[in-house]
Amino acid sequence: MLRANALALSYGATPILEGVSLEVPSGKFVSLIGPSGSGKSTLLRAIIGLQAPSSGTIETDVLSGDIGMLFQDDALLPWRTAEENVALGLRLKGVDKGTAIASARLWLTRLGLHGLSERFPRQLSGGQRKRVALAQVLAREPRLLLMDEPFASLDAIVRARVTQDLLRLVESRGISVLLVTHDLEEALALSDVVYLLSQGPRARISGRYDVPLPRPRDPIRARAHPDFAPLLQRLWNDLSREVGGRAA
Amino acid sequence: MNPNWTWLRQSVALIALIAVWELLADKGYFNPLYMPAPSGVAVALFQLFVQGTIWPHIIATFSAALGGLAVGLAVGSLLGTAAALLPLLRELLEPVMISLNAVPRVVLAPLFVIWFGIGIGSKVALSFILVAVLIFFTVFTGIRQVDRRLVERVVTLGGGRIALLREVYVPSVVGWVLGNLKVAVGFAFTGAVVGEFVAATKGLGYLLSFAQSTYNSALMLALVLLIMVFVLAIFGLTGLLERRLLRWRG
Repeated sequence: MLRANALALSYGATPILEGVSLEVPSGKFVSLIGPSGSGKSTLLRAIIGLQAPSSGTIETDVLSGDIGMLFQDDALLPWRTAEENVALGLRLKGVDKGTAIASARLWLTRLGLHGLSERFPRQLSGGQRKRVALAQVLAREPRLLLMDEPFASLDAIVRARVTQDLLRLVESRGISVLLVTHDLEEALALSDVVYLLSQGPRARISGRYDVPLPRPRDPIRARAHPDFAPLLQRLWNDLSREVGGRAA
Repeated sequence: MNPNWTWLRQSVALIALIAVWELLADKGYFNPLYMPAPSGVAVALFQLFVQGTIWPHIIATFSAALGGLAVGLAVGSLLGTAAALLPLLRELLEPVMISLNAVPRVVLAPLFVIWFGIGIGSKVALSFILVAVLIFFTVFTGIRQVDRRLVERVVTLGGGRIALLREVYVPSVVGWVLGNLKVAVGFAFTGAVVGEFVAATKGLGYLLSFAQSTYNSALMLALVLLIMVFVLAIFGLTGLLERRLLRWRG
């Protein structure tokens, strides 16, 4: 479980977030959407400890070593091969080198990268690099996964495949997820709950939406569920109001 | 033009240049006191090796240059790393290094002779100061320009200072240092030869000084050629090292 209570955060004198409260229950997939520049990524960085909030609290029953973070860009070490990058996550958790490498190969195979484990990141495509980054995080068997628009740079087909793989693993392992995304359809197709962050500065949570789609879920077929379109419309209207409110 | 034949075109041009030079010298267009024929230079070089008198000088110059290079690399890297990571040290070291970088550091050669004598110490010291300042700025800049995303990646995977140094900073800086290693090798030999030129009892710089005082241009050109060949050979070795250590760059 993860809970942010009345979180506030500023960049110097500029207030970014104010009074942000949200909850990610154990084993649930939660998404955070909002206008560009509202502070979604900043909130995630505060939760993972890369940025200190000016006030408010972050509570979690998950140990810091059991929290995984997937960034917008894959940020793989360019001088390490795919398997070494994946193994690094395990070695930093105290796993010995041999076991870490064996586990890394297993995860790379599981994510469809069999035969590519000794390639350097520059020798991989964008989708393959993203899968390596995903393997790096999932190999550590996180209980809580934070993701900052991890698949934004991928083309639609690759994105759909990687998302399907991710959802299958998250559901089967009961991992709690907080996903930051611009993509409303993606948020609804994957999540149990969607939070809407208001337009900044002083952004706060302006909406909470329960997604009543059954699990296990196929993120492509979920879009055809009768509850999907009305919920998407509601989300779209509320987000448009946030963006429009600023413009006005 | 076919790029695969570049070496052939360059070799042909060099041979043609030497042939023209030899011909003009043979016809008396050049005064041998100032511009000896290539054959004269080759004879001087041949005699140095046949008589075996060159070896103590080569050993002296190489010892000084490689000693200064090794110590300069180690100290420059250490200080560069410390200055980049510790703000207090940065405040103290940066102005000193900027000052040292602002002057042609070979002007320190006479001072080093007074401090360390005319033996190898003063030559190692000059090579060291030339290399250390270069490597300091290389490492300092390299660390400060490390990709922040990689740092955050390792931090979110639970890495501390040691892990950051091992996984991010050192590999990142190795690329910068290897990129400047050829310049550092050149600096190291400059320091050794200039140091020997100022005051020494042996070394290629000492031999150059001797050749100058006896107006022996053939010997001077032979020594310049010799130094060039040795430095190019070391460049070749650093190139191999670069390809081995930076193979991830492709």
